[in-house]
Amino acid sequence: MAARLEIMLRPELFDAAGESVRRQAREYFGLEFTRVRVIQILTFDTGMTPAELEAVRTEVFTNPVTQISSFRPLARHFDWAVWVGLRPGVRDNPGATGLEAVEAFLGRSLGPEAAIYTSTLYLFEGDGISRPEITKIAQELLANDIIQEFRLFAPDQWDPESGVGLILPQVRLDHQPTVTTLAIDSNETLQRLSQERNLALREQDIPIIRRYYLRSEVQARRRQLGLSLPTDVELEYIAQARSDHCNHNTFRGIFAYKDLGTGETATIKSLFKTCIEQPTLALAQEKPWVVSVLWDNAGVGAFDDDFNYVITGETHNSPSNMEAYGGSLTGIVGVYRDPLGTGRGAKLVAGLYGFCVGHRDYQGSLRPRLHPRRLLDGVIAGVKDGGNKSGIPTPLGFVHFHDSYLGKCLVFVVAVGLMPRLLQGTDASQKTTAPGDLIFMCGGRVGKDGIHGVTASSEEFGAHTPAGHVQIGDPYTQKKMHDFLLEARDQGYIAFITDCGGGGLSSAIGESARFAGGCEVWLDKVPLKYEGLDQWEIWISESQERMVTAVKPAHAPAFQALAAKHGVEVSNIGRYTDSGALHLLYQGQTCAYIELAFLEGDFPPWRFEAEWLPPALRGLTEPVLGEPQDHTSLLYRMLARPNICSREWIARQYDHEVQGSSVIKPLVGRGANIPTDGAVLRPRQESHRGLAVSMALHPSYGQIDTYHMTAASIDEAVRRLLAVGGSLDHIGGVDNFCWPSIQYDPVKNPDGKYKAAQLVRANQALQHYCLAYGIPLLSGKDSMYIDGHLPGDFQETHKVSGLATLLFTAISVIPDVARCLTLDCKEPGDYVYLIGTTKPELGGSELYDLFGYLGLQVPEVNPGEFLAYYKQVEAAIAAGLLASCHGVYRGGLAVHLALMAMAGDLGLEVDLAGVATSPLTALYSESAGRFLVTVAPQDCQRWETCMAGAPLRRLGRVRADRRFLVHWGEHLLIQTEVSDLLTVWQERFGNLI
Amino acid sequence: MATIKALVLYGFGLNCDHETKFALEQSGADAQRVHITDLISRQVSLNDYHLLALPGGFSWGDDHGAGVILGLRLKMALQDDLEEFIRAGKVIIGICNGFQVLVNMGLLPGLGGVYFQRQVALIHNDCGNFRDAWVHLRVRPTVCPFVKGIEQVELPVRHGEGKFYAPEEVVTALFQNKQVVLQYATPTGELAQGRFPANPNGSLRDIAGICDASGRILGLMPHPEAFISAFQHPTWTRDKETWRRQGLPYPAPAGAGLRIFQNAVEYLAANVASC
Repeated sequence: MAARLEIMLRPELFDAAGESVRRQAREYFGLEFTRVRVIQILTFDTGMTPAELEAVRTEVFTNPVTQISSFRPLARHFDWAVWVGLRPGVRDNPGATGLEAVEAFLGRSLGPEAAIYTSTLYLFEGDGISRPEITKIAQELLANDIIQEFRLFAPDQWDPESGVGLILPQVRLDHQPTVTTLAIDSNETLQRLSQERNLALREQDIPIIRRYYLRSEVQARRRQLGLSLPTDVELEYIAQARSDHCNHNTFRGIFAYKDLGTGETATIKSLFKTCIEQPTLALAQEKPWVVSVLWDNAGVGAFDDDFNYVITGETHNSPSNMEAYGGSLTGIVGVYRDPLGTGRGAKLVAGLYGFCVGHRDYQGSLRPRLHPRRLLDGVIAGVKDGGNKSGIPTPLGFVHFHDSYLGKCLVFVVAVGLMPRLLQGTDASQKTTAPGDLIFMCGGRVGKDGIHGVTASSEEFGAHTPAGHVQIGDPYTQKKMHDFLLEARDQGYIAFITDCGGGGLSSAIGESARFAGGCEVWLDKVPLKYEGLDQWEIWISESQERMVTAVKPAHAPAFQALAAKHGVEVSNIGRYTDSGALHLLYQGQTCAYIELAFLEGDFPPWRFEAEWLPPALRGLTEPVLGEPQDHTSLLYRMLARPNICSREWIARQYDHEVQGSSVIKPLVGRGANIPTDGAVLRPRQESHRGLAVSMALHPSYGQIDTYHMTAASIDEAVRRLLAVGGSLDHIGGVDNFCWPSIQYDPVKNPDGKYKAAQLVRANQALQHYCLAYGIPLLSGKDSMYIDGHLPGDFQETHKVSGLATLLFTAISVIPDVARCLTLDCKEPGDYVYLIGTTKPELGGSELYDLFGYLGLQVPEVNPGEFLAYYKQVEAAIAAGLLASCHGVYRGGLAVHLALMAMAGDLGLEVDLAGVATSPLTALYSESAGRFLVTVAPQDCQRWETCMAGAPLRRLGRVRADRRFLVHWGEHLLIQTEVSDLLTVWQERFGNLI
Repeated sequence: MATIKALVLYGFGLNCDHETKFALEQSGADAQRVHITDLISRQVSLNDYHLLALPGGFSWGDDHGAGVILGLRLKMALQDDLEEFIRAGKVIIGICNGFQVLVNMGLLPGLGGVYFQRQVALIHNDCGNFRDAWVHLRVRPTVCPFVKGIEQVELPVRHGEGKFYAPEEVVTALFQNKQVVLQYATPTGELAQGRFPANPNGSLRDIAGICDASGRILGLMPHPEAFISAFQHPTWTRDKETWRRQGLPYPAPAGAGLRIFQNAVEYLAANVASC
């Protein structure tokens, strides 16, 4: 008999969760309530006796100081009640830990069928709210229909005896697992199967797949194993392995590039090989600190004599666009598994984030699935729970607003780890599988998660069909697994480790089996969340929080005992072999047999046409803009822009200090409220050695030319590192491409050739500038198809493509963190210097965007010129000559002088005459290669000597009062107070917490 | 000085164990991380230690009230051992999630000499969200040895459920018994008086940390282990600049949080280590 326990705060206590809902209802929809209260519901499907239930109620789930609870409905007075619960099969983290608690309390297992389901009942008090209005709140604030369902109750419909009733979102599939064989007698048949099963097989791959099955030796071997026709397990596996996600077909494709301006043509055989792999391998030869790149889950660089660091970046765009919280949570927790699965395993030491979303106050006519405000709230919260509950600091991140991301939001997640250089006397960055090694799956169980997301989302929801295609990450399960695997590593139990990401077991085992030369997998040994999964589903499911390890048989008992201590489930699901094949069995019966060589074989590369029309030929020009008369108000307006203003509310939700490693925090300055150039960590507390990280992206420049966009992003990431104390000798890069579809189609993607050319140009810049700056690309990923089709006012749809976007993340090692510095002005009387040249480069700038222009002259990067004085700046910082250092980035000099003044809570007086051709250009050009520094008067001579030959200009001084004064020779352009600047800069999002 | 042995609990979602161990080591203790399973199953004996540290984190995901499940498990498995530990005059510190555990286990505040009964609670922040920010704290007159010689201290808070709540008579008793150890304050040292952000969570009477009647069990929401080196302070680069202008290298002194651990170790060395 199921039972429903209701828990709520005592009536006299302030209900913070209810108050948040009340505030959001007012802010989002203008609906006023006098009070909102929240009841937590636990529905027990556990077979406990009434006495046990009562004991669990009082001892486990009710805090006698603050809560009341009952197995009868608690709701009394309300004007509307809204119940929200998860759909069947959606990961219920509190339900799972609740069950653990109950079993611990009772001292016995409640059996495999037992479950606790959590849900929430919101009680709204307030007059005059209609059913459509409360429905809007339920749909657009409280519940997301792809993972949750809701029920509304008016007081006259409320039964005080039964309340919301007993709702058990069990998954019942009533399905006998079956292997289906599929005839592929012609190309047309396989094409049809691909469509029916949503395999997304590329037309050009179809004859190659068929040819494999027709080979006589393959047929003979299959007959021996009792196989004939291809099985569904095999075809699903091949489709997974050939997908763009797993195989990066775009970056390995052939691009026919044509510059329509010059008529020049070029063929690029593989963007990955040409623009990423070759320069990185060349640089790795020169830089002994590059330890392991381009083959593992993440790149590895040397940290000190005893440790290496590990870094990678990922995106999780489509799932976050559907379910913002679950998507970004799954994304950040997922990227953490990459360093954990690099070499023989790394401890996670930092997570970084980046969100590209539509404007928070978007009021246009397009209707995305989730309004950007709700979407942003959700993705922020997902990374919050993912990072904080994993005990991994989140020291840096950004949000970038642009309405092109209404079609699909971007969620970037970067993970940094640390691993010993040696384990058991051998290089810890290396790993291998050998015949005879046992395959262990660790962590979560397998359900229908992430299988064919596209088809699943268009299916009708039944009462007991799992809504598993959108996942909710489980940081608690993963944190336990992380602790366990690191101890197993240190004990020498792990021969090989990798994560189950895209493709699930199929890709984790498929890739690891290449080292040994084959594997045998027993699919019936894979622990499931619920019965009834077909064999192919077990094999490709993307259920989260799982890692695959290779363990020598002699280590298996100790490995399993250690897992039990940590409360981590591990299962021996197969073994590695040298058969040359991937052999899957279910209850002793072979259900798939594929030669490893087949998938590594000669599938034809994808082909793209790329046509570049230079910006001037596209009709882009500079706007004709006269000099403003009121520069002070213009600066206020600029500081209040969404992409410039304070977004402190996000950084403060993230624990950036756990592990005790924080040295330069996300927010710096006297008031700890100004974003830092880069973050610095000290991952080993006993050492003074630091890791600096920075991030940069410039999608607006890409509207003019993605070549210069990429160059500007790399240059900015480098300057951000240098500004906090990083070193040019050691900079590693991570490239994360997010691009709209580049496959030309005259109807569906008429500008596909242009977008393909944008991708080519971005890669060319990546190659040129990484070589110029000496940055090996330690890791990187691509996420194509950032497009969406959004309904408008008349139910017509519009294709909205996100701007071509490249996030460049950079990492550097700092020998002694005592060298680090921050951007805040430190002392009155210090001199303010500008380093670098300010050119009329306002194309794609924040200023032009304010006026609705794009412009033409985008900032360009000249490494030959810049690097010479970057080295001088680095030397000056190492010599301790600077009081503060700050790069000049988006918004130009005006914005970044203001940030330095606000950070120091000190005034500034500068003269910009001679900096550029006009005040507007001097103030708002976004030319690359520039720093602002402040220098104590007694250090100026040494500083100027140190900078000999560099484009250096003394702009003015730090003031003792809080006046902010900008002159242009005789003219006073800007006069204001630092406190006024701070007010306008903080105002926009200042009421968010 | 006799060796002070400290046990830092870890596992099942706790996550400040490494830096808490490091802080204790910096204070001269022999600190070991011990997995919850090993303590509960008595593979490791609590008796072998002088100091028990319950560090921050999200034990069991904090899903049913922060610290509730770990508190329940420790109470069920180790009630006798814990009573013995306290009787022997040893010390316990619970930081953030560890404070929540102590409160849910009923080791704090232990009014009327009654342990293992919940008398106070730490509930969701009034601001409605997790918050990482540095706060100023004022130390009240107390018997608690952990804060000896400290009047004010700056430390970070990092929590979503840190609002101290108790019925009025309990709060009054805590003040009367000098069991209120730390209160949120303004940068100038005035009490925050409930005002955000100086009081980051809406705690009653600005209470940030309490002890039991003996003073030897301390629970606090701020993280002392996160300020054992100057490099961890949000404005250390400004201090460095002050040194630099005097022509001196930055000494990177110890952070003010270290004193709390040193006090505990010194107290144990003077009072308990021989037993």
